[in-house]
Amino acid sequence: MTERQESKQSVKEMNAAMLSSMEAPSRGWLVLAAALGAVVGWGAYAWGLQLVNGLGVAGINRPVMWGFYIINFVFWVGMSHSGTMVSAILRLTNANWRRPILRGAEAMTVFTITVAAMFPLIHLGRSWKLHYFIPFPNTLGLWPNFRSPLLWDIMAINTYIIGSSLFLYLGMLPDLAVVRDRKQGLAKTIYSILAMGWRGTAREWRVYHKASTLMAALIIPVAVSVHSIVSWDFAMTLVPGWHSTIFAPYFVIGAIFSGIAAVVTLILILRRAFQLEEFLTPGHMDNMGKVLLVVSLLWSYFYFAEVLTTWYGHKPIEWAVFTFTGDAYGFLLGLMVVGNTCITIPALCFRRVRRSGPAMLFISIFVNIGMFTERFLIVVPPLAHRNVPFMWGTYAPTWVELSITAAAFAGFGLLYVLFSRFMPIVAISDVHEGEALRSHHRLGRRTVSTMTEEG
Amino acid sequence: MEVVGIFENLETAGHAVKDLIRAHVQEEDITSLTAVPYPEGVLVHEKDTRSHLQWFALGGGIAGALTGFGLAAGTAWLYPLFTGDKPIVSLFPVGIITYEFTMLFAILGTVFGMFIEMGLPGFLFRVQAPEVTEGMVGISVLCATADERGRIRELLLKAGATRVRTGGVRK
Repeated sequence: MTERQESKQSVKEMNAAMLSSMEAPSRGWLVLAAALGAVVGWGAYAWGLQLVNGLGVAGINRPVMWGFYIINFVFWVGMSHSGTMVSAILRLTNANWRRPILRGAEAMTVFTITVAAMFPLIHLGRSWKLHYFIPFPNTLGLWPNFRSPLLWDIMAINTYIIGSSLFLYLGMLPDLAVVRDRKQGLAKTIYSILAMGWRGTAREWRVYHKASTLMAALIIPVAVSVHSIVSWDFAMTLVPGWHSTIFAPYFVIGAIFSGIAAVVTLILILRRAFQLEEFLTPGHMDNMGKVLLVVSLLWSYFYFAEVLTTWYGHKPIEWAVFTFTGDAYGFLLGLMVVGNTCITIPALCFRRVRRSGPAMLFISIFVNIGMFTERFLIVVPPLAHRNVPFMWGTYAPTWVELSITAAAFAGFGLLYVLFSRFMPIVAISDVHEGEALRSHHRLGRRTVSTMTEEG
Repeated sequence: MEVVGIFENLETAGHAVKDLIRAHVQEEDITSLTAVPYPEGVLVHEKDTRSHLQWFALGGGIAGALTGFGLAAGTAWLYPLFTGDKPIVSLFPVGIITYEFTMLFAILGTVFGMFIEMGLPGFLFRVQAPEVTEGMVGISVLCATADERGRIRELLLKAGATRVRTGGVRK
């Protein structure tokens, strides 16, 4: 076989390997999809029960009127942050190691923000009143009040969902053409429509690159605004523990932290499930581990700064919330600090840990347990211990809230499982581009790998 | 009419482009079809590389800013809520809504502009070469007449094309 034929064969083989998730579903895939679907169904039943019986079936009550639904909302919006944002930053900085992880990260954003958007709807209780958010004069002659941060949320999340979906689709355009060319019959017709007639002409590639860069530059400020606005849902109130100028950047960093951890978890699962070890290498884990380490340091710094200034000022009304959190939720506080700081920072300093799949899986999952706990500690203690002692209270979620939370995780998993079955889960053209630009050079006694870059 | 020659690799395709130019085929009538983007000049030189994408984004952004401002400030004017001596149009909330709409419309403008500049969707009159996504390289040439199409076909085959596809009009 000549070198040329070998190279053609390898492109074909690489395509087949990267599209392996789109082959006929295995029994394991079907079982997983059915199990996730069953959990989603159970969650839908719980929500249905709430719609019929009212919010009384949930644990939220005076004074804690924001419970698991809002915790979930903040958590899932946070997770959505990193997918598109990391992808956009890596695209803008032209980091070559980004290529195999882009798609997984971008898809994660779209699904997590979709799950997040469900929670305000569930939290409404009377979800059928949602149209009051839509800016048209309703039956009462009222317009939505744009002075409310909740309305800012609606606008920001819609912008982010649309922007992230378009960013994902734009990145997939050349890959949909690859799928189109491998399919037959109805599937070919569907992928042909999705690929829009893409052929890979010089002009198409030039415009595509420019559009990708422009989109990346536009989506980053949107991502920052989304979580800033989520933080302002809290910070715009005068509730002690919430009314803080540091909340917006603290939320943004927390969101990036949990999002990057989620990307790591997903990549490790995809790598194992679809035998993508060739494309998602320990080198990618190493780089993601470094990013996670930096963000963990930043998150810890922000948390320390928040606690330090409150402790030093010692305003009774503010400090009371911190002491209450330590007393009533000491275990959760410890879990958060251990998960987000004490384990993550020392462990990720070691290259061996960053390159180890099981270790990274453990750390990334633990980070998100820590971040979910952090969301709980942000939402619940300040409401449970406000400045009027006769209004102090407690909160514990009911089975309805726990079921809906489980359904959210299952729903996200199901969307991802379905996506990996019907869409290319690895950014094929990006990986090929990386391979095309890579060459090997003799340098002294060694042969080193180099990347071609246009000046 | 369009003729697309399919080549095994980049080098053969590059030589074919040189042969076409030597045979007095206009360079603006030649383009490449590839599975990955290559730097300008590796296969073909595009005569017109101007792009108006940023103007689509800017236009979208301006339209979005006007829409966002109109929605937030306009509805406050239309349905005034008098609260103490506070202004009817509140600066920060209007700014935030305006910002979100600006970004949304700028993104939509970028995507719209991208499809306009690419000439997509383009399902008709475009020769599809499925070999390209499997790593082959396509060289596409626009021809005015059937005679020219035959000549180009011969040139491409002579230059080493493994297959030649012909079809309607390349946009």
